[in-house]
Amino acid sequence: MQRHGRSALWLAIALPLVSGGLLVWQAWSLASVIGRAIEGGETVDALLPTVGLILALLVFRAGLSALGDGLGTLAAENIKRDLRDSLFSSLLARSPRRQDQPASGAAVTAIVDQVEALDGFFARYLPASAQAALLPIVFGAIILPLDWVAGLLFLVSAPLIPLFMALVGWGAQAATDRQAQALTRLSGRFADRLRGLLTLKLFGREAAEVHGIVSASESLRRRTLSVLAIAFLSSAVLEFFAALGVAGVALYLGLTFIDYLHLRSSPLTLELALFLLLMAPEVYNPLRLLAAHYHDRASAKAALVEIERQLGELPSEPTPLSDIAPRGGEAIALDLTGVTLRTPDRQRVVLADTALKIPAGQHVAILGPSGQGKSTLLEALIGLRAAEGDIMLDGRALESWPEEDLRARTFLLTQKPRLLHASIAENIALAGHDASRADIELAAEHAGVAQFAAAMPQGLDTVIGEDGIGLSGGQAQRVALARLFLREAGLILLDEPTAHLDAELEAEIISAILDYAKGRTLIVATHSHAVAARLDKAWRIAGESLLPVALPAHKKGVA
Amino acid sequence: MSVFAMLAPLFRRRLGALTLALLLSSIALAAGIALLGTSGWFITATALTTLGLGFNLFVPSSLVRAFSFIRILARYGERFVGHNATLRLLSDLRGWLFSALFPRLPLSDRSIRHGDLVSRLTADVDALDVAFLVAIGPMLGALLMGVAVTGVLVVFLPSAALVYALAVAGAIFVVPATLVISARKVGRDVVSAAADTRIAVYDAISGHADLTILGVLGTAKARFSAFARHLSERRLALAALTGAAAMAVQVLAAVALVGTLWTGLIAHQAGALDPAVFVGLVLAVLGSFEATAVIVRSVGKSTAALAAAERLTALANLPPAIIDPAQPLPFPEGQKMAFSDVHFSYDSGAPVLNGVTLSIAPGERIAITGPSGGGKSTLLRLLLRLNEPQCGDIRIGTTALHDIAAAQVHAHTALLSQDSPVFIDTIRNNLRIARPLADDEAIWAALGAAKLEKFVATLPEGLDTVLGESGRTLSVGQMRRLCLARTLLSDAPIILLDEPTNALDRASELSFFETLAGATKGRTLIMVTHAAIPEGTVDRVLEIRNGRLSG
Repeated sequence: MQRHGRSALWLAIALPLVSGGLLVWQAWSLASVIGRAIEGGETVDALLPTVGLILALLVFRAGLSALGDGLGTLAAENIKRDLRDSLFSSLLARSPRRQDQPASGAAVTAIVDQVEALDGFFARYLPASAQAALLPIVFGAIILPLDWVAGLLFLVSAPLIPLFMALVGWGAQAATDRQAQALTRLSGRFADRLRGLLTLKLFGREAAEVHGIVSASESLRRRTLSVLAIAFLSSAVLEFFAALGVAGVALYLGLTFIDYLHLRSSPLTLELALFLLLMAPEVYNPLRLLAAHYHDRASAKAALVEIERQLGELPSEPTPLSDIAPRGGEAIALDLTGVTLRTPDRQRVVLADTALKIPAGQHVAILGPSGQGKSTLLEALIGLRAAEGDIMLDGRALESWPEEDLRARTFLLTQKPRLLHASIAENIALAGHDASRADIELAAEHAGVAQFAAAMPQGLDTVIGEDGIGLSGGQAQRVALARLFLREAGLILLDEPTAHLDAELEAEIISAILDYAKGRTLIVATHSHAVAARLDKAWRIAGESLLPVALPAHKKGVA
Repeated sequence: MSVFAMLAPLFRRRLGALTLALLLSSIALAAGIALLGTSGWFITATALTTLGLGFNLFVPSSLVRAFSFIRILARYGERFVGHNATLRLLSDLRGWLFSALFPRLPLSDRSIRHGDLVSRLTADVDALDVAFLVAIGPMLGALLMGVAVTGVLVVFLPSAALVYALAVAGAIFVVPATLVISARKVGRDVVSAAADTRIAVYDAISGHADLTILGVLGTAKARFSAFARHLSERRLALAALTGAAAMAVQVLAAVALVGTLWTGLIAHQAGALDPAVFVGLVLAVLGSFEATAVIVRSVGKSTAALAAAERLTALANLPPAIIDPAQPLPFPEGQKMAFSDVHFSYDSGAPVLNGVTLSIAPGERIAITGPSGGGKSTLLRLLLRLNEPQCGDIRIGTTALHDIAAAQVHAHTALLSQDSPVFIDTIRNNLRIARPLADDEAIWAALGAAKLEKFVATLPEGLDTVLGESGRTLSVGQMRRLCLARTLLSDAPIILLDEPTNALDRASELSFFETLAGATKGRTLIMVTHAAIPEGTVDRVLEIRNGRLSG
């Protein structure tokens, strides 16, 4: 694919150069037809073949330029697609709990919009810069032997232009960088405010938020405009030279014709004069084209900087990502020694030098005030968060567990599980690769999903919005919980599985969980003593360590 | 309302600047054509003159210089003015969209998702910038030039005028129109493919932990790649159409040029055309196609802009969630609230409330319990006028709730919802959303009532601490308490709490209930919860089950 993209890019660069060569022929033919008609007095019939040639050249060059544009777009699309794949997969391959993981709005902007900003660089800027580097010189070299004054004018003025443009471009670059940042911030603000739009509405913030959005985009406008003011300046420089070229050549030729200037050794023909005049704008045209696309280069550079700022260094190729099928197996024993755990922001110690032993198949509750680190502990147990000390699963250090084994044999229900915009059944099926419809229905039954799904128009096939729109908080939690029953995991970690439920349903679902967790190790983070009372053992986090909690003797009997 | 009717007022506000940009662009084009034409005429005239040094140089040479400078200045001015106007238009558009969105909340259409909404606001709005700058403007400019050059041809070389006029008309009308019609679907596809790709990234990043745990990163990657590939293919299809159109325009330009050349040669041979004028005309025709070359590139983009505009319009065309009364009545202060035989279901699905009758005295504190999905949250939504009951009525004093403007209802009731968000902003600004002018004393008091005071006091930057996306520096329980503090900070005399202690442990829950009475003193409190409520927290506990209340 990469190679495919590269050859398309080479062709996209080469074709306009061929077309430029043909342009000289075309201009000469046009000048010659007119010259021969006016000065030579040739008849229309004699000129017909040349007129036909001009038409053919024009049409052929139109085809070449369409082909070149198409190939440029193809090359750019391939490059963008590869880059998006690489960025996306390297982002997912990292730990989901990394501190520098970008906010989702920023990641969307980087992978979709900033990568899109590279389009112009490959599709337009690169071909244009090749033309700008070669064609003026070639044209100048062709003209020089025909008329040294015009040739010299072109050869000297053309190379000066990029110099001016570079001067102007420096300023544009800095301004473009600032603009890319502003765009990211604006997009982040939109995502954030949209998420809470209903809350803002209820607090009567409509006017303030509308104003906020307008002033944020007005500030983006001012930044953009300052970029453009400079970018336009560089094209004005070119317009100036192009116009000057035409005007200067016209005056020089006119003065030569009326014998005011005598710089030529041979007499000037109308044919040659017309050719020089036709070529004058063409010498500057590749440079004007480059100036028009100079902005593409600046945008692409700024986009790359912004992508690296948001997502880290650019990956060279996509990281292979494959699914890991859940695998049944023995219960997994846990053994923690000397474990020190910090909060996600690393500001506070959750556990210091803590030991904990959970034999295979035991059911344990972790009690503790919210914000004390229960979720952090659960995430550390399956390697989502870094912890100091030794965490052993089945007598094997956590870090030496291959990712495939770890994911295949463990399950964590996070506190705010995310549902996809798909049917309830599809959301559950995400947990088990070959889950049959019957498996899914059974899982839905166990998690108490079936009872509310039955009242919905399409039952389990009802499509729910992302973030569980269309479901209450408790219902969304239960859909995520249903995934557990497809996993056959040897180690089950549940973070507040019944947070949204009333006591009756809580008891019912805990029964289903305990039933399923027989012969598996189960750790439930909860603030419900009723839940803890049904488990074998309970610990609480207090004073940076885990303390045992006494449970009522009749623990197993309730429900 | 159609796309154009919806967006026309926005364009009208910038009409002056846009017209100026068009004028400047036409001047630049005209100057370019005139420069080439005059130059061609000038060198041919000098080549053929017998006057030698007696030839009047002054007029043509100053014309050539004047046209050069007019062109440079007009071009720069056109770009600056045009872009400025367009960017202002974009700001207007963003504000317009936001104000269109607010009255339509909560959105009834479930398919309008968050990731999609973000893409609508940023990308769709941005896609519209090409609508004027690179489509309408050049098209009008090219039209003016086409007419002008045709006029000149009619005078000097009538036989070429028809060929030229037809070719220009083809380039300005036929080719772009064909392109718009044939690319319309592809343009729409590009926009929706880009939105799908955005959602795939958004889904994957916000669900990253869940996807990792479930071992389905491969599926997520495949899903994203499929969308990205589709986007790429659609863009290529659009580029192919645009490329074909560009080629058609170039061919038409070739026909016009060769047509002018050929008829000119015939007229010249017949002695009906001055040679200098002949050369001037050929060069002017050559120059005039500068105007048409730009059109195609922009029309290709404008199909995407049209698709974006359609999506924005669709969003703004959603019916408002609630229709405010024509003559709203004021919210009666200090009156009792009464539900009588209220029935409600979402999107005509299964009934959620089934004949609820309830009366709450001002200053009363009640708790509503019941199984999840039993209609507790729905009761609060009806009180907020986010939805309206299909049957039965809700009154404040003697005033029906639907006779009061929704904004008035919201000003008098503050809600802590189950999914209350924490914004990427400072703690102070997060709280001030409820009361923009609240001083620090009030803010600390609210934090105290929500049991978050101590924690915030330990933060190095205190109230100025900036919270990340989804309040990443806070635990879920702390986020919850921050939202609670925000609700308590509001001035509203009625406080609605939806599972306020969800994600709090029992000890914090108990101490929360203890302080609740004090924190909401003098206000009416309706709390939906499944927690066991200690004696004395509320005046009354009601249970809602299968859409019916029992006390």
